[in-house]
Amino acid sequence: MKISLVRLVAAMALGSLTATAQVAHAEETIKIGIVGPFSGPFATTGTGFRQGLEAYVAQHGSEVGGRKVQLIYRDSETGSSDPSVAKRLAQELVVNDNVALLGGFMLTPEAAAAAPVANEAKTPLLLFNAATPALLEMSPYYIRMGQNIAQPAELGATWARQLGKSRGYSATADYAPGHIVEEAFAAKFAAEGGKIIGKDRIPLKTVDFAPFAERIANANPDVLEVFITPGAPAVGFIKALAARGLTKKILIIGQGEAEDNDLHLYDDSVVGFHSIIYLSAALDNPENNALKATLHRRFGPGTEPSAFTIGAYDGLNIMYRMIESQAGKPFDGAAAVKSVIGYSWKSPRGPVTIAPSRELIQNFYVREVEKKDGKLQNVVIKTFEQVQPPASKK
Amino acid sequence: MSVVAFIILYGVSYGLVLCLISVGLVVTMGLMRVINLAHGAFAAIGGYIAVSLAGHGLLPFAAAIPVAVIAVVLLSIVMERLLFVHLYNAPELDQVLMTIGFNFVVVAALTLFFGTDVYPVRLPPWLAGSVDLGFRTFEVYRVITMAVCLAVIGLLWLAFDRTNLGARLRAAVDNRGMAQATGIDVPRLFLLTFAAGSGLAAFGGAIGAPMLPLEPIYPFKYLVLVLVVVALSGFGNVRAVVGVSIFVGIVDTAGRFFLPDLGAFIIYALLIVLMIWRRQGLFAQRTVA
Repeated sequence: MKISLVRLVAAMALGSLTATAQVAHAEETIKIGIVGPFSGPFATTGTGFRQGLEAYVAQHGSEVGGRKVQLIYRDSETGSSDPSVAKRLAQELVVNDNVALLGGFMLTPEAAAAAPVANEAKTPLLLFNAATPALLEMSPYYIRMGQNIAQPAELGATWARQLGKSRGYSATADYAPGHIVEEAFAAKFAAEGGKIIGKDRIPLKTVDFAPFAERIANANPDVLEVFITPGAPAVGFIKALAARGLTKKILIIGQGEAEDNDLHLYDDSVVGFHSIIYLSAALDNPENNALKATLHRRFGPGTEPSAFTIGAYDGLNIMYRMIESQAGKPFDGAAAVKSVIGYSWKSPRGPVTIAPSRELIQNFYVREVEKKDGKLQNVVIKTFEQVQPPASKK
Repeated sequence: MSVVAFIILYGVSYGLVLCLISVGLVVTMGLMRVINLAHGAFAAIGGYIAVSLAGHGLLPFAAAIPVAVIAVVLLSIVMERLLFVHLYNAPELDQVLMTIGFNFVVVAALTLFFGTDVYPVRLPPWLAGSVDLGFRTFEVYRVITMAVCLAVIGLLWLAFDRTNLGARLRAAVDNRGMAQATGIDVPRLFLLTFAAGSGLAAFGGAIGAPMLPLEPIYPFKYLVLVLVVVALSGFGNVRAVVGVSIFVGIVDTAGRFFLPDLGAFIIYALLIVLMIWRRQGLFAQRTVA
């Protein structure tokens, strides 16, 4: 017994020595935890995240500020699980894997659930795409790479008024982001002299959109602001609008309903659909072309950058700048966040700057679906340059 | 006036497709007393086969539909002999578990072959576009679907009411023991009915694909609506299914039109009220044993 105890203590002493040795070595590697949907119904988002991150590393290497960067991926299984999974993964990444930075968190509830983790661990967390305004107020360590969902709605209202539209109608999916779009559009449209004649909230599980198209037709607006979840619901809704003859009669403005990689799900009735969003795969600038070249080389010739790809790509760029700002010292989350406020760079989506509110000042593009050479695609018809994020509201 | 016209036209066309999908389940639940929650799976498979054959240009849409129906009928015969025959005397929980499990397998298979996105339906030119009815326009596709559904339902009605087979089926639904005692080959009747019901579901899924979009979770998505129709019709009451389906279609369409936020719940609220008021179904018929 006694001999075993001595052996046990000796073993522990030796063990702690090696552990300390490893810790000393670990300071040279900085870990980043990426939480995203790598399986399940939103797996394409996870793929976008991964492609954006790998493209950045392929272009810029995996070392910065004297440290080696290691990406750790965790599957949040969004869509087949609940947001607490994302929170647990964030906790595990911070506690077990000692990550210095977090990124991803596709859906607002997941980002909201992870806020306490980021706050307690003082870990900067980059939201690659989540668009709900209130998220940034939940943690001073959150930086948003996507858009504030109210922005395209307000720009839609402004643009519609510029075109002389005066009877506005909104049809939005019945959940928080849809409500924000509805309110933002209505407020801006009315403020600029237009009249809102109807607001419909469409339940998330709807499959038959004919009654909604009928209501809109009966109200006879000249501009329709749309916010429907992309995929089956968006396709069904636009088809219903087309069947009722509305796509030819009124200006329809949406956001992500008819992205380039979804256009194959539609038929020609989607031609003329307008959308306002902060990026476009068709942009012709050096950064976007370089990104596309890298994507095509690594993942195949048809790979186009999506909002998720670019969110992750830009997110990693910010993280690299943060790591660089802390070169030679232990990583301090709060200081890192502070160091990137006001940072400007040229992203594949155009020039961007991080505003003091930790959102991006970026371009917004008005696009229209056209049929060119027998193929449906989004074409940029107008650019709103360097749009300031809205003043923070509760 | 235009609102009423819209609700009736859309509600009826929606309801008739629902009728085709549901009538098979009404009969099998009434005849075999099997809780077959996998019925929607046959509708989905039929829809996918028809739309993918047409989509890949292998067959025109009109020809792809009968091919899909035949394929599903054959599949259902195989499944009946292998799987469902064991459920006839099984406890209800076993039936539910087995058929839900079958649903999951079908959903996974559909995801594997066709992906998670909605499968796009390209209507042939003669089905696309709208027709001017005078007081409003209406999609050509819906007009033709209504006509075809009514024709099929009419034939079904005839078969059920006027043929020997129909009479035997009605007898077996009313009183299985007595029917067997009089020499009716009930197991063979089960097989025929199951195959026919699944074939009808496949037909509904195929022709209804533009209205009820095809995606892998289709079997679960429309299960509830189909069960609503079955519950309101009463087991085995084929004559009632048409009326009930049209009723469900109209209530659903009207609900969505007048109350966009809550429209989907109207039919469930109605179901609760009707179940309390008339448990045997809207058009109850006397059943013996």
